[in-house]
Amino acid sequence: MLASLWNLVDHNTKDQFAPLQERIKLSLPPQKFKSVGKPVRRNEDERLITGRGRFTDDFSLPGQVFAVMVRSPHPHATIKGIDVSAALEMDGVLGVYTGADLAADGLGQIAHNPVPSTKYDVKLTGRGGTPVYIGEHYLLPMDRVRHVGEAVAMVVAETRQQAQAGAEAVMVDYDPLPWVADTTAATAPDAPRLWDALPDNVLVDSIFGDVKNTDTAFAGAAHVVSMRTHLGRVTGVPLEPRAALGDYDAKTGRYTLYAGSGGAVRQKHEMSSVLGVTPDKMRVISFDVGGNFGTRNRAFIEFGLVVWAAKKLGRPVKFRADRSESFLTDYQGRDLVTEVSLAIDANGKFLALRAHNLSNVGARCVSLSPLSKGSGLITGSYDIPYATLHSRAVYSNTMSTQAYRSSGRPEVTFAIERLIDKAARELGYDRIALRRRNLVKPSQMPYTNAVGSKYDSGEYEKNMDRLLEIGDFAGAKKRKEEAKARGKLLGIGFANYVESSIGTPKERADLIVRPGGVEVVIGTQPAGQGHETSFAQVTADLLGIAFEKVKITLGDTDVVSAGGGTHSGRSMRHASAVISLAVTDMIAKGKAIMAASLNIDPASVEFDDGCFRSTASNRTIDWFDLARLAIALSPDHADGVKVRRDNEMHTPVFPNGSCMCEIEIDPQTGGLELLRYATVDDVGRCINPMIVHGQTHGGIAQGVGQALWEGCVIDPESGQPLAAAFTDYGMPRFDNMPSFVTEIAEVISPTNPLGVKAGGEGGTTPAPAVIMSAIEDALLDYGPPDVSMPATPLKIWTAIHKGKSA
Amino acid sequence: MSRIAMKVNGADITKDVADPTLLSEFLREHLGLTGTHVGCDTTQCGCCVVHLDGVSVKSCTVLVGQAAGHAVTTIEGLAEGGQLHPVQKAFRECHGLQCGFCTPGMIMAATELIATYPGTLNEHVVREEMEGNLCRCTGYHNIVRAILTAAEEMLGPDRVVQPASDHAKTEG
Repeated sequence: MLASLWNLVDHNTKDQFAPLQERIKLSLPPQKFKSVGKPVRRNEDERLITGRGRFTDDFSLPGQVFAVMVRSPHPHATIKGIDVSAALEMDGVLGVYTGADLAADGLGQIAHNPVPSTKYDVKLTGRGGTPVYIGEHYLLPMDRVRHVGEAVAMVVAETRQQAQAGAEAVMVDYDPLPWVADTTAATAPDAPRLWDALPDNVLVDSIFGDVKNTDTAFAGAAHVVSMRTHLGRVTGVPLEPRAALGDYDAKTGRYTLYAGSGGAVRQKHEMSSVLGVTPDKMRVISFDVGGNFGTRNRAFIEFGLVVWAAKKLGRPVKFRADRSESFLTDYQGRDLVTEVSLAIDANGKFLALRAHNLSNVGARCVSLSPLSKGSGLITGSYDIPYATLHSRAVYSNTMSTQAYRSSGRPEVTFAIERLIDKAARELGYDRIALRRRNLVKPSQMPYTNAVGSKYDSGEYEKNMDRLLEIGDFAGAKKRKEEAKARGKLLGIGFANYVESSIGTPKERADLIVRPGGVEVVIGTQPAGQGHETSFAQVTADLLGIAFEKVKITLGDTDVVSAGGGTHSGRSMRHASAVISLAVTDMIAKGKAIMAASLNIDPASVEFDDGCFRSTASNRTIDWFDLARLAIALSPDHADGVKVRRDNEMHTPVFPNGSCMCEIEIDPQTGGLELLRYATVDDVGRCINPMIVHGQTHGGIAQGVGQALWEGCVIDPESGQPLAAAFTDYGMPRFDNMPSFVTEIAEVISPTNPLGVKAGGEGGTTPAPAVIMSAIEDALLDYGPPDVSMPATPLKIWTAIHKGKSA
Repeated sequence: MSRIAMKVNGADITKDVADPTLLSEFLREHLGLTGTHVGCDTTQCGCCVVHLDGVSVKSCTVLVGQAAGHAVTTIEGLAEGGQLHPVQKAFRECHGLQCGFCTPGMIMAATELIATYPGTLNEHVVREEMEGNLCRCTGYHNIVRAILTAAEEMLGPDRVVQPASDHAKTEG
């Protein structure tokens, strides 16, 4: 049976990209870009380096009071009762609220929409094609707690300290239940069950690909190599703890929520739905966001609680998570188990791939992105004719998982790249040569992989060769010998990757031309990616004006009317596309305004290089002259000439690249030093190389962190999370990271006007694979090591000693 | 409650505050100096670094009373006469910040490092000395460059060794 991953209209057309290219014509050819492609210094920085940023907790309102949550110490327990009477007697306590109070006010659930839904996302379902059961998500539960740290009550007091003291005095009567946290254990038929609506904990069970041809290929293959991998549970750790400030205006009946997130517009709709009010009654403000990495994209319960309590108490209510709350209850990431097998012929050609992916969604299903995103990429950068994939997701008594930097893609990259290293080792191939033999070739682009993903463009072999050059792969052998002479074990890690950037398909831009400058209002939500700079570069070039004349406005839903937020590397691509369309409309509008203003034939007006000219007049006017003419022409233009443009773009892009690293292990201690790290990343058109390099650097650190230090470890005896502070959760730090050599490859994507792919996640995608590949290479003399992530010195030391005794 | 007097960014401040108030809380919530950020509660992240009589301290672990009678400089007080401090300029020039949340603490810690380190500053020294500040966005690469760039401006080229060029191309 052939079950296509994709449910799409134009999948089989010869060139799905042609219509888009025709529809969106750039107002100037790329060779005339003045600002695009330059490392323009950021507009964001001046406020951030002088202490004038506007992060959520920086806002304070007159009369504000403070909320603190009462959190479950149990991984799984029935809530038999909550006694708030002692807390209510405490100094300064204004109110103590439980799920029953919210229910009495008719508050709804957070309406998570976990199944990715663009035309090109995989169609995950429950067993037998049934809808995915996602679990209830009320702001405070009434029946039971399902993970340690789940909030069961909120205390509001005059000061934060009083609220903390009040929370200590809330008496919750719990009846502990059996629990399960481990991903594989949670799938057992007799595992403790989280949701009564399901017969077990498995909420997604779908099979994709070509089962028959995959089976045939495996049956006839000269070699089959298999592996089981687990990319464990980590969390985003934005340095700004999540925070929320709620306000209610009784006169207008409007709520205001100050809360940094991955998209204010989304939060506005989610929170108004929880409160049961129309979206116009909810304003969300999200200006500077101190890191997101995906784990802030979905609504947190505190967002709803502070606005609800603000109305209840008639005073603004503020919440700020402390760091241990962030470790326990920020959305987490990864936690995907893969069992993967590769069929290979006698000449080293890959024939088919079979994978079973299991995603741990935690206590509620907030997002299936980690499972879905990887599902379309299981064959990686390689031409593998047939594949089948069994995708499952499971509930467990842990915090919910959500997209975390390069959601789902490091997991499948790890599986295919580590499997190829293993195949090379076991079958006696050079690991680079085996990859080279099987890479998708530029002549095959656009290339539809065995599970239906259509790779838009890319030069994979060229990336690999360039990487080997800048990483001095040829010199590695000598460096290895030198290290050995010093008693150290040097290892080289290598990985290729391809990833997809999809994301919410709709974006809106308001383009406003005024005599003093141009404003673009757009609904993406940066958390350090520099949209105020890179979007201004695009706008400036397309209009033909100076970069300094453009201002980008984001983050206040009273100004930003629509927008998809920032995730999946979507922002630059979607913003540049919708801005291109808005500029095209604005040029048409400008021609009409000039014609009307000078009383000439509109057809005689031409636009070129930032100026309008007419054969019917000797006037040449720029955009700012035009705005002045427009204001004189009609009061409609009093606040500038405005264009609102919406765009819907489903077609994904496939950033790709190659990555290598060099490590040195001290066999006496198992200690590891990261010596070199080099990448080549095809990001499509690079708008601002300074920003893109920075994204790659940060992405590398997060991927390396997962491989070497990070982990949301749960004690198998008690179910207690053990990482609740920076003392317990290993972070990439100044002194454990190297400098990087990063190179940008620009293979222009044919899918969108500027040819953008994405640059935010490529640093992370291959990083766990490349680090573990290096560790394996360093330890080969001790036999193929069995080291799990995070690869701590103890694990490495143990592997060395096991190898010695074997 | 105690009456607390100190100099903050050159101005004399006197306030009545509760005794358990932390310096970070005093700066942010009593003085409105929200450039000093709080990223953890255990003196680990360094977002809250300010100068106390010119020395870097993590202000989330200093009681306001301990700062009484002393001079505090925060990120808001670093630029003088409308001119950015060389460290601030270098962070912008070298893209040493992304989300900007750790940045005030980074800049304050780096400023003190450059002002007080007796020897030659190089990448290794910067990485060792700055270890008490966390960043989640940059992978530290460009922060190291920013600090060494500022150090060269402040100390001269003889006291600083710059790292090897890193981007194979596309930087310029």
